[in-house]
Amino acid sequence: MQLAELPTARTSLLDNLGRIRRELGPVTPELSDALADHMRIRRGEVAEVVSFYSFLGLPLDSLRVCTGPVCACRGGHELLALAQELAPEGLPAVEVACLGHCDLAPVGTRGDTILPGLSRKVLDAALAGEAAPPVAHATNDGPSLGLSRPDREASPPRLPPERVLAELEASGLVGLGGAGFPTWRKWEAVRREPGPRVVIVNADEGEPGTIKDRYLMELRPNLLLEGLLVAMEFAQAEHGYIYLREEYATARARLLEAIAALGDVYGRSIELVVGAGSYICGEETAMLESMEGRRGMPRLRPPFPAQRGFLGAPTLIDNVETLAHIPAILRNGGAWFAALGRRGEPGTRLWSLSGAVERPGCYEAGNGITLRELIEEFGGGPTDEIGAVVPGGAASGILPPAALDVPLTRAALAEWGASVGSAAVQVFPASYAPLELLTETMRFFAEESCQKCTPCRIGTRGLHHLAAGRVSFSGEELEAWLEALEQASICGLGQGAPIPVRSVKRHWPELLP
Amino acid sequence: MSGVRFTVDGRAALAESGELLLHALRRNGEAPPTLCHDDKLEPYGGCRLCLVEVEGSPRPVPSCAVRVEEGMAVTTNGGLPKLRRTLTEMLLTEHVSTAGGGRADELADLALELGAQAPFVLPDAGREPYEDRNELMGYDPDACILCGRCIRYTQDVMQCSALTFEGRGPEARIVPTHGHSWLDTECELCGGCLSVCPTGAIFEKKSTGTTMPDTALRKVKTTCTYCGVGCQLDLNVDPESGKVVKVTSDPSYLPNEGELCVKGRFSFGFINHPDRLTEPLIRGADGELHPASWEEAIAAAAAGLNGVRERHGDQAVGVLASARLTNEENYLIQKLARTALKTNSVHSCEAT
Repeated sequence: MQLAELPTARTSLLDNLGRIRRELGPVTPELSDALADHMRIRRGEVAEVVSFYSFLGLPLDSLRVCTGPVCACRGGHELLALAQELAPEGLPAVEVACLGHCDLAPVGTRGDTILPGLSRKVLDAALAGEAAPPVAHATNDGPSLGLSRPDREASPPRLPPERVLAELEASGLVGLGGAGFPTWRKWEAVRREPGPRVVIVNADEGEPGTIKDRYLMELRPNLLLEGLLVAMEFAQAEHGYIYLREEYATARARLLEAIAALGDVYGRSIELVVGAGSYICGEETAMLESMEGRRGMPRLRPPFPAQRGFLGAPTLIDNVETLAHIPAILRNGGAWFAALGRRGEPGTRLWSLSGAVERPGCYEAGNGITLRELIEEFGGGPTDEIGAVVPGGAASGILPPAALDVPLTRAALAEWGASVGSAAVQVFPASYAPLELLTETMRFFAEESCQKCTPCRIGTRGLHHLAAGRVSFSGEELEAWLEALEQASICGLGQGAPIPVRSVKRHWPELLP
Repeated sequence: MSGVRFTVDGRAALAESGELLLHALRRNGEAPPTLCHDDKLEPYGGCRLCLVEVEGSPRPVPSCAVRVEEGMAVTTNGGLPKLRRTLTEMLLTEHVSTAGGGRADELADLALELGAQAPFVLPDAGREPYEDRNELMGYDPDACILCGRCIRYTQDVMQCSALTFEGRGPEARIVPTHGHSWLDTECELCGGCLSVCPTGAIFEKKSTGTTMPDTALRKVKTTCTYCGVGCQLDLNVDPESGKVVKVTSDPSYLPNEGELCVKGRFSFGFINHPDRLTEPLIRGADGELHPASWEEAIAAAAAGLNGVRERHGDQAVGVLASARLTNEENYLIQKLARTALKTNSVHSCEAT
């Protein structure tokens, strides 16, 4: 590949950098400058984009070791140190916040190859170029997504937009990336804005503990494409994009195959955009910045993406799983979907189940399920005495074992100061100290903070050091910092970072001021 | 003025159509502090100090990024002063180096005003020290609060990208591109970045000679002598030594709107230089230079020029005008050349 062949539109910057890394090697300052000159972008602007991402400066076959909460609980940090010790000169071994393979923890990667059940033996084999153990899927044949069914199904019926909205409203479907905003309202808002409009699939799954979108894209890529095409037709969008995290190589290959096999889809185009290692780019406005060739720093809202999103166009951004439910909803009706829940909650969703359970995996089950039901019915029961459970990602809170029978619903969890988030249920054994879990969680927030706003930039670091016992707060100071994060942060990362701290204050009050 | 009516803490107030809430608040006697905002730049909303509550918004909003709308109900009191103090204290936990003499530090001023103190120093507050081999601008990473004003200013106003954010998370910092010296980037050393730095993290190396705080320096407004543009600037004088320690400008000054070039901002060393000529000198028969009056000096120059014309003809004289002259002065020079010296050989070095 020659640099001169690369497209020069600013929106191609991230992709160009990824291609350079794949085909020419790590993006050095010299390559960064050469690309900037070719694209007629100022050198500094390209340099600061390169340094924002974790992977652009690394060789493709680097070792990456996951230090997400479930992996950290199973020796992730020790494995990272071991990988650094074993790696030959010139081969970096770096940590990744969460590789999204928590069901196989502890994990790492050598280049694009996932190394499940990471150990000294697996590391030695990977360094010797031997084949890695296979990546298994533990899942079920759920009513809406049927992850264990074959991927090909008849396309959903083409319904007029009013009917689509009505079915979505009746289904009770909400955004399943973590925010839980009613999907029909988001869709309606985008449609109110004048075209041209854009649809983006948020496939930057990085929420610690979350593996569901990966399962979906690896097992049912066509289901996602069907949902995306419905969304594009609804929004009258010519261009659709899937923003996928770099670490999901198998999903990348499956999606590319599926997109290529689509053929003509009413003249619409679907493009895969691959990230480069940054959790915050899963925040929708940071994702837009990233796609436009800038550092992934969240935008101020309003305007919301539905009003002014990608390149200023009204943009519908939905999570992978949210879109994948839509074909079944349109085929069977919103009322059918709504009736799939438990205890009166509407709908089903994928639960990423990992940690101290017999059969970690990704299971579709009705909303309203309890932790105990999930662990017993799907996970085959706990492997250890349960010490703590994280119900849905880093900012969903930390629950004590006493909450095992609480239905995993917005209302019921709110009473416990927690939320369903991305439904990433991580079960921790009693041997893993809650304060250690909190330290890891706050370290994650601090390291992934984009540094744009004061409360997140400094608050997450202060709370990490507090959990790690390196600084001390008075109770009053701590409360003031938590409030500053909640009230004054620009995006969900900072606003949500206090939640695990509040969980620990509430359920293990002796541990914090 | 098409007035937009809104309220501030329940009091009626008036704004211009489309006006930034921050500006409208200032005109209405409320001045929320801000460290990251600059009127020349797009709203950024990063420091969060100018947060106010607007009825209907779930969280406080940055007044630097919100336009006033008819009927907007704005609150600046309630929990906001406490929030502001907490944010200031957060900044102080990382602001481990305070600006020295001659350097402005709006964060220190704000901390004083709000009675804010760092509850502790962040264990990872210290950043790698930065040394730049250029002689004009310095950067103290430990005084930097990553507000990015310098970067946005250089990129958006000066159309240069010599300064960049680098990295993410606790290791993030601001550096010249790739961490190189400013001299190895596209930087022209105009000092625009340091003129907008709120904490003195980027500073004039020459001003470090004074112990006076920035606020104690006496400002003398004058016109830059380096070219014909006529930039307005302030000579900042240390009242104790009486010497100029740095040059600044102000966004309200025309025609340069506060911007200066490397010469205007940094090349003031001649003011107190021992080699500087402070009076006319005429070389005498003894070969030495002797002080003279302006009348004597001009008469001597005229005699010399006329002598050449008499001996070699009018075209033997040519006039080369300095780039420092204004248009009007250049007009007078050509007039002098053509009518008095009767030569057509007249040129300005700005033309080449």
